[in-house]
Amino acid sequence: MTSLAKAPDHGADLAGGIDVRGITKRFPGVVANRDVNITIRPGTVHALIGENGAGKSTLMKILYGVQKPDEGTISVDGNEVSFGSPTDAIKVGIGMVFQHFMLADNLTVLENVALGGERLFGIGDAARAEISRISDAYGFGLDPDELVEHLGVGQRQRVEILKVLYRGARIIILDEPTAVLVPQEVDALFDNLRELRASGHTILFISHKLDEVLDIADDITVMRRGTTVGEADPKTATKLQLAELMVGSELPSPQTEESTVTETVLLELAGVNLVDERGRHLLHDIDLTIHKGEVLGIAGVEGNGQAELVETIMGMRRGTGTISLAGETMTSWPTRERREAGIGFIPEDRHRHGLLLDAPLWENRILGHQTRKPATKHGLIDRRASKADTERIVEEYDVRAPSIATNARALSGGNQQKLIVGREMSGDPLLLIAAHPTRGVDVGAQAAIWDHIKRARRLGLGVLLISADLDELIGLSDRITVILRGELVGEFDPQDVTPQDLGSAMTGGKDTA
Amino acid sequence: MRRVSKIAAVACIASLALTGCGKNDDTKGSDKTSTSSADLCKDASGDGPKVGLAYDVGGRGDQSFNDSAYAGLKKAVDELGATCTEGEATDGEAESARETRLRDMADAGMNPIIGVGFAYSEAVNAVAPDYTDINFGVIDGFDPDADANDNVAYLGFAENEGSFLVGVAAAMKTQSDHIGFVGGVHNDLIKKFEAGYVAGAEAVNPDITVDVKYIEESDLAGFGDPAGGKEAATAEFDNGADVVYHASGASGSGVFEAAVDAGDGHWAIGVDSDQYLTAPAEQQSHILTSMLKRVDVATFDMIQSIADGKPLVSYQTYDLKVDGVGYSTSGGFVDDIKSDIDGYADKIKSGEIKVPTAP
Amino acid sequence: MILSGFLRKAAQPVLAPLIAVIAAVLVTSVVVTIAGASVSDFWSVMTTAPKGRNWVNIINQSSMIFLAALAAAIGFRMNLFNIGVEGQYTIASYAAALVAGYAFFPGKLNVVVAVLVAMVVGALWAGIAGLLKVTRGVSEVISTIMLNAIAGTLVGYLLSNHGEQYGQGRRTTPIPDSSQFTGWTFFGEHDGAVWSLALIAVVAGFGISFLINRTRFGFDLRATGQNEEAAVASGVQVKRMVVISMLLSGGIAGLIWMPALFGGADYYGPPFQHQLGFTGIAVALLGRNRPLGIFFGAVLFAWLSEQANPLGLVAGISPSIVQITQGVVVLAVVIAYEVVRRWSTAQEQRTLRAVLDSTPPQHEQKEVTA
Repeated sequence: MTSLAKAPDHGADLAGGIDVRGITKRFPGVVANRDVNITIRPGTVHALIGENGAGKSTLMKILYGVQKPDEGTISVDGNEVSFGSPTDAIKVGIGMVFQHFMLADNLTVLENVALGGERLFGIGDAARAEISRISDAYGFGLDPDELVEHLGVGQRQRVEILKVLYRGARIIILDEPTAVLVPQEVDALFDNLRELRASGHTILFISHKLDEVLDIADDITVMRRGTTVGEADPKTATKLQLAELMVGSELPSPQTEESTVTETVLLELAGVNLVDERGRHLLHDIDLTIHKGEVLGIAGVEGNGQAELVETIMGMRRGTGTISLAGETMTSWPTRERREAGIGFIPEDRHRHGLLLDAPLWENRILGHQTRKPATKHGLIDRRASKADTERIVEEYDVRAPSIATNARALSGGNQQKLIVGREMSGDPLLLIAAHPTRGVDVGAQAAIWDHIKRARRLGLGVLLISADLDELIGLSDRITVILRGELVGEFDPQDVTPQDLGSAMTGGKDTA
Repeated sequence: MRRVSKIAAVACIASLALTGCGKNDDTKGSDKTSTSSADLCKDASGDGPKVGLAYDVGGRGDQSFNDSAYAGLKKAVDELGATCTEGEATDGEAESARETRLRDMADAGMNPIIGVGFAYSEAVNAVAPDYTDINFGVIDGFDPDADANDNVAYLGFAENEGSFLVGVAAAMKTQSDHIGFVGGVHNDLIKKFEAGYVAGAEAVNPDITVDVKYIEESDLAGFGDPAGGKEAATAEFDNGADVVYHASGASGSGVFEAAVDAGDGHWAIGVDSDQYLTAPAEQQSHILTSMLKRVDVATFDMIQSIADGKPLVSYQTYDLKVDGVGYSTSGGFVDDIKSDIDGYADKIKSGEIKVPTAP
Repeated sequence: MILSGFLRKAAQPVLAPLIAVIAAVLVTSVVVTIAGASVSDFWSVMTTAPKGRNWVNIINQSSMIFLAALAAAIGFRMNLFNIGVEGQYTIASYAAALVAGYAFFPGKLNVVVAVLVAMVVGALWAGIAGLLKVTRGVSEVISTIMLNAIAGTLVGYLLSNHGEQYGQGRRTTPIPDSSQFTGWTFFGEHDGAVWSLALIAVVAGFGISFLINRTRFGFDLRATGQNEEAAVASGVQVKRMVVISMLLSGGIAGLIWMPALFGGADYYGPPFQHQLGFTGIAVALLGRNRPLGIFFGAVLFAWLSEQANPLGLVAGISPSIVQITQGVVVLAVVIAYEVVRRWSTAQEQRTLRAVLDSTPPQHEQKEVTA
């Protein structure tokens, strides 16, 4: 194994199976990976799939030596290994290609590849010959002396792959490699990967694009909520089955209560379009209505316009069409006025959009309520009232914190989320927008948050619920619509819909089991 | 916010470090003249006048104005048995700092106290009435108000006359009929240098091109900015000038560097003191001459007047007639035209040529 | 627990600057030794009890440094790196001196008008950078650096061409006697006076402190600085905030030199004290952008500069050496704060865990995260 630290021995026997057993990784207050088990057979393309936040990236970092697991073992070719840094991982032949390229535009392919690996083949003709050899062997078609700035995205990716091969990698981890590629480039990449597989390399392919996974993978492992939840054989599995595994159904599911839906229209979107600077439709002709006392669930594979929809309703993005709340057109209102009019917002990424991590809880209580009592009075911060109301939220919503003077950063994800829910439910909102409200929170907090959403509904609020968890959607919603490529493509009654139906609509309805 | 503070810290430290570097360069350059100078005042133990000498920005080691004052002081220490203390203005210091410096010296019993540079005028005017038994001198100074102080001497120079002579030298030496001028700060004092220089050059060749650049518009930092001096001079050399005269104090070392970089046939002209003598060897071959502003003479005169018991007061002008200004011949680069230059000098002394004081 | 909590709270504002000052003392001592001067001479000069005149100067300088740092801090609190304080106060000072010199209004009204002019001009000059940022995406770092250079050159140009001849230099028309504030002579007649308008610094300090900590605007500003995206989601209009903050920062910058102008400077001319804008940035960092911290930082810087004056006379070493002390203090403070911050965050999480462990576990901890 250590012999690989010397000049890499290309072309020879390239075994490279990885066995991951019982990996657990905790961060303060959260468990990112829990009892993860994967067996990657040598000489195969192994796909690792899961929703965002399922723990893929943590696992990947552990495999590449960026982070150390708290528990569990990693074996390569049957020998247990322990990585202190990526250098150790490279020594045993594991290389990683990141989603964002790490190339210097003003250097040539040769210079980029040799950079940091000068000891292997120098920086002259030996290195050039080696690069040409690898490029020819796997059909990369790269000219060592071409400037990287002249290369297209697909070619740059091949330079990245070449970099790890040059360093003697037998096992290549690719982090969402197709996210940046157009379809033709994807095909080319897959051809390269097949070449690599044919020559004995092992590839770990991380993705959430199910079509591609089925196309290229020999084995599939599915992750969900920090752990590996299943394996699938791409020859027999369907997209639907994979989607079900990814979004899961084994957790306690919320039970809908008696309908409280009224006839009063609360939120109405008519013909809402959102176009990005390149002219692509992020949202396309959205018509949507939520009534008082109604929970509208939005189902969809991530990245189909959910975030844009929420941000358009919140006024953080400006589209065309009309948006009205309780009969008042608010299309031209800024975010603050929309909040004042009674929209509560539980954002998808609480750290980015929901909290001031280095501010105390009571100041976080003010966020989003800067213009309203009890947070402020006559343009001034009302510290006493804010603190008192934060105490109330901490009490009512069971936020576990030493005191309201604690910084938000110190709280666990579940407690942060409960604080946000409590805050957004204050001030008598009319409409609650909840984007992935239970993502990344513990089971206890999850149940509590479900209860709060149900209570909001009983209180006559309208709720827009976005979730990747189909059970959560089915259990809480009065209606479910499916979003696909920025369009609402179908509406379902949660009483008689199955995750299969939803999954089919989410993937475009072409895939039937 | 943490990110910002880190960036800001780095920027601050970097700027401090850079200023520090600038300072180092100064002291290195001045090694020849003033290695022992740090000890001049410590070692002086005569019973002559106790001199307080307050330098301008740039301080001792500027190879120019301040060093010239120092030379006068050294002569007084050697010949009159004077003792001394020194102080130095720093860039960006408080307006009160000059006054504080003078008061510290007065409280320490210095007499005379000489401020080097017109910027001391105001401070001297504020301090002098409180110490009527002490005599003050201000190089390039003036009385800012109507109340005359009978214990202050304003030591002025006819810089336009000296500049005229180096203008003559420049015009006679240029191959391209194209010369340049770099001023430290665009104030009336430095414009006086410019006016004389241009007049001298045009007296030789009415069609000559003179590029004029100033490092700073009003900030006195222009007298302590070698990088700025180099930039300005390089621009003029690039533009076709082959002789550049600087009146920019310590920034002049940058002008000399620019002449070296511009290569053979490109000259710089020094100012205030004979800068050939203090320049590093590689620069010497590019220093055509220097306009001598005999700050040393004025400084020494002031000290001697105290020693003689007949203190100088009021306005004193040091012009060509009294050898208060002139030009240097070190290096021998102007030996061939010396008689021509001296001819112009005689015409100025006789009044036949009137040198303008403003461009 | 209460005690340890108190210690933790006290650690950041007290411990970190203390560590920094100690580090600065050590480094300066080493530099003084290398420069061949006596360390004990150096520190005895620096720590001699100031005389009356020195006290006056320290107080006066502190007021200007404080205002400069306050101006920088307003930007920093919302992640705006306004390094244009230098240019803003240069051009504002010139404008105010010009207006005050014309004396369109009698007596003290002239002062009020000039101070307002200074604030408006400073604000507008900073506002250019703010507008460029929100409309054209130009980094305020770049634009304010450029505006510094432009302000210096513009003022110099105006002065050389329209200023009044004054010895070898040019200046604006001096303000009339009726518009001068002599200030308070606490010590001897010749020790100078503490400028009356130094009080502007006190007022501005309390005003800005109140604005940032107690008002809705201040909350929006801090929220934007801490987490811009969360601020946007909470309804803050960030572009508007950028422009307003730059205007505010520039307005305060305009005040920097006002105490000096009416306290004895009388005109804008060659003796004008430059560099205060940059000193202000350093002091803002030193004081962690909090008015109280800035106050101590300003006094420290003013003390060091003032006390350094006799160094050449007494210890035979250049006063410039205190710039090293000042630089090291700033660097050390940034490092020390980061160290102390990490330490106290770790402490906080430990406390939190202790609290959670002491409550009966209702659910097994099964959290996952992105």
